[in-house]
Amino acid sequence: MSVTLARAEPSVAGVGDYIELMKPRVMSLVVFTALVGLLVAPGHVHPVIGFTALLCITVGAGAAGALNMWYDADIDARMARTAGRPIPRGRVTPGEAAGFGFTLAVFSVVSLGLLVNLLAAALLAFTIFFYVAIYTVWLKRTTPQNIVIGGAAGALPPTIGWAAATGSLAVEPLLLFLIIFFWTPPHFWALSLYRAEDYARAGIPMLPVVAGEEETRRQILLYTLILTPLGVAPWILGYAGPVYGAAALALGAMMIALALRVRKERGRHNASKQLFAFSIVYLFLLFAMLLLDRMSGGLLGHFAA
Amino acid sequence: MTTASVIMDDVTRPQRPGIRLTPEQLRARRARSIAIALALGAFVLVIFAVTIVRLGSGVLTGPDYMRPVQTTK
Repeated sequence: MSVTLARAEPSVAGVGDYIELMKPRVMSLVVFTALVGLLVAPGHVHPVIGFTALLCITVGAGAAGALNMWYDADIDARMARTAGRPIPRGRVTPGEAAGFGFTLAVFSVVSLGLLVNLLAAALLAFTIFFYVAIYTVWLKRTTPQNIVIGGAAGALPPTIGWAAATGSLAVEPLLLFLIIFFWTPPHFWALSLYRAEDYARAGIPMLPVVAGEEETRRQILLYTLILTPLGVAPWILGYAGPVYGAAALALGAMMIALALRVRKERGRHNASKQLFAFSIVYLFLLFAMLLLDRMSGGLLGHFAA
Repeated sequence: MTTASVIMDDVTRPQRPGIRLTPEQLRARRARSIAIALALGAFVLVIFAVTIVRLGSGVLTGPDYMRPVQTTK
């Protein structure tokens, strides 16, 4: 009896393919929100320690992205938005992506624990675990609440940044967590409204596929109505000055206006696309204003007074 | 075995079957190798920088238990 051993084709994956595996666009939002968490925390962080913490969080986020692409390669191949990713395109094998993701995950968590502190490392490990095991493997293919619960993973980076700076947790990072947590559903459901066919083809039970467009539009508005006061809360609770408060109110009003347009829209998806695009601007500006407020040491408040 | 026979063996020996990389695969492997080298270099620099920040000048004196015991005369 002869045994033929399967021989793997030598890899053609370039450096760019591996960077793509790390989802650089998602990573940029993670880095930014973690940076804000790190800088608004009380006390002083040595720049080298701060940079190391951010680097570990960035690599950890990239590891989670690579593991997500490894597990989801089958459904990615069926969706127009994701068919061009490295694994469906045949540039990287699933095994390479898994090895890359696991290696980076271990490296980032261990480095953060040894070089910064154990609480931040534990939170990073939990975030990667939650994104890969809870969201990707379990929730994504089973429930329309996938991105609601799974959104916790994306909401944790500012908390990790805060923990890296202080070695502890407080109400303020929890507030930042809640802002991103309640921002995630309107953001992703706006996208899923005009990508519903794609999700249906891949068999992912996104809300518009399972409950219909009408219910999705209603839920988008509900979550936006919860998000807006949460965005203003850092000012109300005294963590930020009135300039931040005014910006949060204006940005929140814009989010509600767009969510109302999405609610009224029928058959077309112009408002959904606008809401999806603006939601990214909303989160970026909200966190940038918080950072500016803290960096100016209340200077913005003095100008407003 | 003389030197001449060794050379002859090398010349006459049929080439062993194996994986032959295409130019594209060679280029990709080289690029990956350079990226891994750069990443490892960066990792070493980060460890070095954090060590200096955390230990300061203590990095040269070592831990307390290794220092000579001070005796009073």
